[in-house]
Amino acid sequence: MAAPDSFLSGGLLLRRSEWALLAAIVIAIVLTALVDANHSYWFQPLASLRDIARSTALLGIFALGAAVVIIAGGIDLSAGSMIALSATVCAATMLALAPAEMVGFKPVGGAVVAAGCLASLLAGFLVGTLHAWLITAVRLPPFIATLATLVGLRSLARALATSTTAALLPTKNSQINVYDPAFKFVRDNVWIPVAVFGLLAFITWLLLTRTVLGRHLQSLGGNEQAARLAGIRTDNVKWFAYCYAAMTAALAGLFYVANESVAAPAIQARGHELNAIAAAVVGGCSLTGGVGTVPGTVLGTVFLRVVIDAVSKVIKTEAEIYEGLIVGVVVVLAVTFSQVGQLAKGGRRLFPGTLGICVVPVLALLVGSVVAMTTGPRAGIAAGLAALGLLAAVRLWEGRQAAAARPA
Amino acid sequence: MTAARQTAHRAIAMRSITKRFPGVVALDGVSLEVRAGELHAICGENGAGKSTLMKILSGVYQPDAGALEIHGQPARFTGTRAAERAGVAIIHQELNLVEDLSVAANVFLGRERRTPLGLVDDRAMEVETSRLLQMLECRVAPRTRAGSLRVGDQQLVEIAKALSLDASILVMDEPTSALTEAESVRLERTIHRLRDRGTTILYISHKMDEVFRLADRITVLRDGRHVRTVDRAATTPQEITGWMVGREIACHAFHEPRPRGAKLLEIKALTLPWPEHPRGYRLADVSLDLHAGEIVGVAGLMGAGRTELLETIFGVSPPTWAGTIRLAGQPVRFIHPREACDAGIAMVTEDRKRLGLFPDLDVAGNVSLCSLREALQGGLLSRGREESLVAGPLRDTGVKTPGPHASIMGLSGGNQQKCIIGRWLLTQPRILLLDDPTRGIDVGAKAELYQLIDRLCRQGLGVLLTSSELPELLTLADRILVLAEGRLTAEFARAEATEHRILEAATGS
Repeated sequence: MAAPDSFLSGGLLLRRSEWALLAAIVIAIVLTALVDANHSYWFQPLASLRDIARSTALLGIFALGAAVVIIAGGIDLSAGSMIALSATVCAATMLALAPAEMVGFKPVGGAVVAAGCLASLLAGFLVGTLHAWLITAVRLPPFIATLATLVGLRSLARALATSTTAALLPTKNSQINVYDPAFKFVRDNVWIPVAVFGLLAFITWLLLTRTVLGRHLQSLGGNEQAARLAGIRTDNVKWFAYCYAAMTAALAGLFYVANESVAAPAIQARGHELNAIAAAVVGGCSLTGGVGTVPGTVLGTVFLRVVIDAVSKVIKTEAEIYEGLIVGVVVVLAVTFSQVGQLAKGGRRLFPGTLGICVVPVLALLVGSVVAMTTGPRAGIAAGLAALGLLAAVRLWEGRQAAAARPA
Repeated sequence: MTAARQTAHRAIAMRSITKRFPGVVALDGVSLEVRAGELHAICGENGAGKSTLMKILSGVYQPDAGALEIHGQPARFTGTRAAERAGVAIIHQELNLVEDLSVAANVFLGRERRTPLGLVDDRAMEVETSRLLQMLECRVAPRTRAGSLRVGDQQLVEIAKALSLDASILVMDEPTSALTEAESVRLERTIHRLRDRGTTILYISHKMDEVFRLADRITVLRDGRHVRTVDRAATTPQEITGWMVGREIACHAFHEPRPRGAKLLEIKALTLPWPEHPRGYRLADVSLDLHAGEIVGVAGLMGAGRTELLETIFGVSPPTWAGTIRLAGQPVRFIHPREACDAGIAMVTEDRKRLGLFPDLDVAGNVSLCSLREALQGGLLSRGREESLVAGPLRDTGVKTPGPHASIMGLSGGNQQKCIIGRWLLTQPRILLLDDPTRGIDVGAKAELYQLIDRLCRQGLGVLLTSSELPELLTLADRILVLAEGRLTAEFARAEATEHRILEAATGS
């Protein structure tokens, strides 16, 4: 059995898989700097850094919350909708407290901004409490409970935006614009979300590694029944975990408002909950619970954003179309690579039997069509054929190895 | 001619089998021959390589070196399915049931019977399953969800699964570790029937009495090596145990009386309802006392309510019970284990892997879990404080571990159990509830645990102990209570208790 790396394992700051992730980040950056036709990493390092830092911080803040829930053995699918709700609650609160200023593009004042932000965080706490109740008292599986709020909260946010604007403005609107200088200041100073992300990462790290609650979260994720029998109030621990996830999403929602100068519940952060879960998984969190670290989650977030940025640099047009594809591929590759050791020695095959034969053209088709759409038909066909040849060769080699292992 | 006859008589031949795992040599050139139709017992402490050898025989693992012959034919199994085709079936020590499927579906998992239309033939599988279960004298309905069964019944389902293969070679890896005495007796009858039909059986067990009742020949393994193979008639249990541990172990009986202290726990007319069951109750009208410095044993068959009794005291089950539980004279009604802990009760659970261990925490984390507050320094957990906190219990319970930060899953069953006892000792309990604490633990570690429990009791702890092994209760307990179908049917002082009398009371005969 390999040496286990636990929360307590001291010495090196990072685990081996996390060093590998760090190396992958560096490689991705260097490759982009070389491949990108504009060489923007060379010529505009600060602007590039700012873009990546902002997107990383915005994703990372609620990825930390997602990681805490995952380590506690749960899942929170509702983060994207929680962000939309948080943004809307903040904007609606400010609109209610200072309608004239909001309409007239004037500063609303510190007190009103603070009230808006506090209302958002409170909304996060309430949603977390609702999740905990649905999961521990109604006994819904976390997937079902947060699937319900994933669709429900966004709808609620849209209704809130519409009804607030209908009541307070001459015409009702599906979104609420926010022009207050405080939000502009946050938008123009990237270090603020980055600092908040850093601070939150530190707090979360402290929580998970150095507090009783953190140990309880980890034991809850590792073996829930045993945790209860060890006298841990597992229901309360879950309550904390879901509140932490919802409140980090609410915090992220405030930065979304600042970034986009608007609370637009219909589209804001749509699908981003999956990016947060992906970041945690790439960073080494196990969806079965009990396993995961803050450094891993932070690196997973950075890696995800760096790769997305790299692809947008390389493919000039409409890079956000490919974002989902990238996240999907990165998650699959990251989790596959974490098992490379097992594959190498365990006699396990990547392309076993008939399934293995069938999947080779599927993968080749995927590679070929993506290259064709981004570069051109000829390159696509070439890439597809190359992938087909390569994968077929791997399949054949694996088949030979397996046949050789059998007795004559 | 003679060579051919010899081959025919030899069901299994293993030659110089070697298997390495990272960091350990599990088997080091083990050779073993098993005659067709014999019952061959394999003995050895945990970690001796018994299970690994059997997993190689049944295709779970492939050996790194060595050769295997089945009925004279060279064999190299790539998986359990290949082994099954060659007529080798294994009953694993760990349970491998799909909890959400029915008993019948589990028995035929992967080999489902089909109707002429190609649909799954549940009827045929259920009929066959109930035939197999009847053979095991097990009263479980084939349609019951496997997950709703108690461990003992699940084990019988595993055995039925192996029997359904109609194998010529059957490997049984500690089949009785989760069975009560009565169930074990039933299993022995089945084993005799199988042997009469000519099945070759390899039998792994820690229980010497069982081995000496059943086996034709006995092989002893130690530290991955073959020590010797002998005829049962030519040896004694003491000799076998000596070979297993490499030294003689003195049989520890705790005859020196323990001083009995104040009354800690008093249960009067405890009744725990069971609404969805025809019997209507899990426990009915159970009364007992427990004093400081006393070990009270609870005997009973599987399903008699032993675990439920401990769980009710510990606040695990919902507080729907009637009756009174008094702790040092005060009536209590716990609704969460936390409250029981705070009141000075500790419970070591029955199923270590499922209900006790945290695989993702290291040894120190597993031991300190219930008393983390004492490892705080300025509000934060301190690694150093945690290490010194767990050093005491690790030493007192005699855990053998490479260090406090080793993986808990890398320890043997006995050491894992000591860690869990250590976890609870840190909470400084007055009452210790032990639910079948030596299940699946080897002889040497068992003796150590007995000494530990005796020592704790002499320090003034009250211990309520259940066990599926009567000799264990007879060794340890001052008094033995017997449960049968949720009712208390007898109470014996140690001097008047015998296995026979306990079994009579437990079966209600």
